[in-house]
Amino acid sequence: MNSQHIFRDFDKAIDALKGEVITMASLARQNLERAMRSLLERDIDLARTVIADDSDVDDLERKIDQAGMDILVRFHPMASDLRLVITSMKMAHNLERISDHAVTIAKRSKKICKSSPLEEASLAEPLYSMADSILRDALTAYTDSNAELGESLKARDKELDQLHKQMISSLSARLEDSNGRAENLLHLIFVARSIERIGDLAVNMGEDAVFLGEARDIRHDHRKPSSQKPTLLG
Amino acid sequence: MTSAIQIQNVSFAYNTKQVLHDVSMDIPAHQITAFIGPSGCGKSTLLRCFNRINDRIPGARITAGSIKVHDIDINRSDIDLQELRRQIGMVFQKYNPFAKSIYENVAFSLRVAGQNKRATLDEIVENALKSAALWDEVKDRLHASAFGLSGGQQQRLCIARAIANQPEILLMDEPCAALDPLATLKIEELLMELKKKYTIVIVTHNMAQATRCSDKTAFMYLGKLIEFGPTMQLFENPKDPQTEAYVTGTFG
Repeated sequence: MNSQHIFRDFDKAIDALKGEVITMASLARQNLERAMRSLLERDIDLARTVIADDSDVDDLERKIDQAGMDILVRFHPMASDLRLVITSMKMAHNLERISDHAVTIAKRSKKICKSSPLEEASLAEPLYSMADSILRDALTAYTDSNAELGESLKARDKELDQLHKQMISSLSARLEDSNGRAENLLHLIFVARSIERIGDLAVNMGEDAVFLGEARDIRHDHRKPSSQKPTLLG
Repeated sequence: MTSAIQIQNVSFAYNTKQVLHDVSMDIPAHQITAFIGPSGCGKSTLLRCFNRINDRIPGARITAGSIKVHDIDINRSDIDLQELRRQIGMVFQKYNPFAKSIYENVAFSLRVAGQNKRATLDEIVENALKSAALWDEVKDRLHASAFGLSGGQQQRLCIARAIANQPEILLMDEPCAALDPLATLKIEELLMELKKKYTIVIVTHNMAQATRCSDKTAFMYLGKLIEFGPTMQLFENPKDPQTEAYVTGTFG
């Protein structure tokens, strides 16, 4: 919102809440980027850093939930303010799960790094690039209340799902003739699954940005024959 | 949904000062409709048009449009004002019981209307006090002064006084503005019961109260009706930027 609140403490509280979400998003993305780099560059220390830093993301989730509750109690937000508080708390929840997936990737990476180099690891790179691009736009949709951008992410996630399927079938085919690399290939399949899940979580955030910007609830729209009345929490 | 009051293109002036501009809305029956908006926006003036108590102010008049109850324009010159105000009761911001006993406060208008039969009065007073959720608190001191009651009890007594007349519509002009939070909640709880029998229109500056109690909310600004819709929609997703600015408390 460009307009200011008459009660300026409300502006400060809202700005602080948004700031915390943006900080959390940066940390979650950084954790994901480091987890992938540890896999692709075979860097075990980087994987350990990701696992250690996840607690910072967890702390931020708690902090954002508390700040959101404080705003609800103190300022009784209405309309777009109310949607911003609710969306911010949901963003925090999704970001925490994304960071958990980064930890999963880091743990698998550590195991893969302990064996001889796995050339198939590079298959995960384009998958990651696509997921991270969706994630980046989900965050922009939130910060700019850009419903159009938020709504566009679902289609891109379908492309990600397609790429994920191709990668899984390629890895599965190699499993049959893996020459002792089966365990690492399985680790890589789980890495791919985590990246695919990150795409889903980014889509959730895009849907929340649509609610934030236009008060429309587009979740589970594929199951609805027609558009329904917007609801606050569904 | 039937409407209890139909307001069509109403404009209103105090002498030359136009304070309502072309207001149209249907107040739904057996629901609570809240009027919100900044001071001076015309919400109390509009409320006071519904039982014509603005008539008492020299120079105050509806300059255009009509207000209909049961399809009758209440501004017709042949309207029986006493009957209109019996059908459309009113409760004010500052509770204003008469300097009489609790019982006589509720019985007063009935006596004025010629009802003096003790058994009938007893029954109506008891029912009105029960409907106003006050009976249990006062049944043992019905003949004590109304001024001995707490603020919240005095306001509920005023509600009992209004409903003793068996009105169809209850107008409430900031009925909780002078009450503490718990007394306010008691009145709000009472409103939820009363709407089963009566149509309620409430002017309030307390937006949380509007969200808690009302089914529909009207936002007024500078004498105009800006937005009128289901309360939850108006507070969660207002259509008009002026409503959005008001409910979020923003400017610029």
